[in-house]
Amino acid sequence: MMDLVFWAPVMAGGTLAGASSGVLGTFIVGMRIPFLGVCVAHAALAGAVFGGLCGLEGRQLLLPALAGAILTALALGLLNPQRAHLDDNTVLSFLFSATMGLAFLGIGLYGILGKSDNDVRSLLWGSLNFCRWSDVRLMLGTSTALAAYIGIFFKELRAILFSRADAEAAGIRATAVWTGFLILTAATLTVNFQTVGGLMIYSLINNPAAAAFQVGRGCRRVMWLSAVFGAISGLGGFLLAAATDLPSGAVIVLVSSALLGVTAFMDRRGRF
Amino acid sequence: MTPAVLEIHRLAVHAAGRCLLDVEHLRAESGSVLALMGPNGAGKTTLLRTCLGLLTPTRGDVTVLGENVSSLRGAMLARLRSRIGYVPQLLPAHSELPLTVREVVAIGRTARAGLFHRLSRDDWRTVDQWIERLGLGQLAGHAFSQISGGEQRKTIIARAMSQEPELLILDEPTANLDLGWRERIVGTIQTLHAQTRISVVLVCHELEVLPEACRHVILLEAGHVAAIGEPEVVFTTDRVSQLYDASLRVVHQGGRHAVVPGGRTQ
Repeated sequence: MMDLVFWAPVMAGGTLAGASSGVLGTFIVGMRIPFLGVCVAHAALAGAVFGGLCGLEGRQLLLPALAGAILTALALGLLNPQRAHLDDNTVLSFLFSATMGLAFLGIGLYGILGKSDNDVRSLLWGSLNFCRWSDVRLMLGTSTALAAYIGIFFKELRAILFSRADAEAAGIRATAVWTGFLILTAATLTVNFQTVGGLMIYSLINNPAAAAFQVGRGCRRVMWLSAVFGAISGLGGFLLAAATDLPSGAVIVLVSSALLGVTAFMDRRGRF
Repeated sequence: MTPAVLEIHRLAVHAAGRCLLDVEHLRAESGSVLALMGPNGAGKTTLLRTCLGLLTPTRGDVTVLGENVSSLRGAMLARLRSRIGYVPQLLPAHSELPLTVREVVAIGRTARAGLFHRLSRDDWRTVDQWIERLGLGQLAGHAFSQISGGEQRKTIIARAMSQEPELLILDEPTANLDLGWRERIVGTIQTLHAQTRISVVLVCHELEVLPEACRHVILLEAGHVAAIGEPEVVFTTDRVSQLYDASLRVVHQGGRHAVVPGGRTQ
């Protein structure tokens, strides 16, 4: 019998991570920038590594991790790919490799200085099973900020999702709105990474959104569907894992993949 | 003198050490249909993008709707752009695009409504009116990525018109369309101009795309103005044959224009 008091924050964390990553996925998959999750993860890692070198430890490392991720989001948002004559994914790849280089440089310095990098590693590669109410509150905070931002700037984000260049040409403040969205995305993903782990978040960004695109039509509807698919993957995957005594992260990833598989086979005329 | 919607003085645009555009003077009158024509690489799209403030000129002034584009930044530039309806050459239509036709048209009202404001009932009424006027009513709830290329073009024109712009800029609006759709889009531009008297700047390769209302053509060649005037004056058989290095014949009939292989101007 499952100890509900112990597992309740894990279930809440899985559901929140799934729903928030699903909403983000609508834009990340829709704008074809799947590298964003990996890029933010490594920027956060670089921030945490250098925070650790400066003497921070434990939960304190979340602050430099957030700073690293947010700085990268700022760079990505303010750099107009059209003016730079670079594709979004090329910019992401550049930022990803640069932050990864910085992170590994910092990790190398841990060895030279004789320090342990366990804190840094665990910050970015959390496990859902160790999710506590304090983690859930943090996730709830970033997810609420993200939801509020999307609610306020929905019409601008919808235009950017269609085409950032077109939105700019139509007089929409695309760079400002998109940069704000990327900053909140970076914060949400960093918090989600340290709570439930990177692999699970990558799949929860991509699969629920891709499944929603298969069966939904209309930006708002697809976003809600993606959030629901993400929450189903997070909570359903955990419950399935608990019932079968299998690793929860892997089962959540497989449930979200199965959702995408099922929707891909559905008749597109049956969209709702 | 009729006020100008677009005026250019000593404009030059360079990229990677190459001169893309060098135009001494150019003017488009309010309420007119101006066509910018020329072969690939002539500088047509560069000129349009400079007018929208998407490219920064090396020198010179571009005045659009009375505003010097080069001197505008941030909110001021965004405000000017919201007065211009722009139909780009390339349309995003990949399968992961969840927007419906109605949502795409509503993008035209987004800048008008302003940040922190939702689209009002009036905004949605304007969106629906343009959807109906362009004959897209049946497709309003369809995914933009699932409709045909011609229908997508019409949707983008409806988006630009729902902005209630003072200037409509169309960059090769019939690119990759079959003959039937090409004629429908030309008819749409002609009707829009006749009904609203909106100023139009049209960029195209083919003479067949010029609507009857277009009485002012600027022919660009290698970034320079090669000829300016009425289509019948600019497009002579000799000039077109020389421009495209081929034996071509230009036909002008009933306010429309066409190019056929070989011969002399009719």
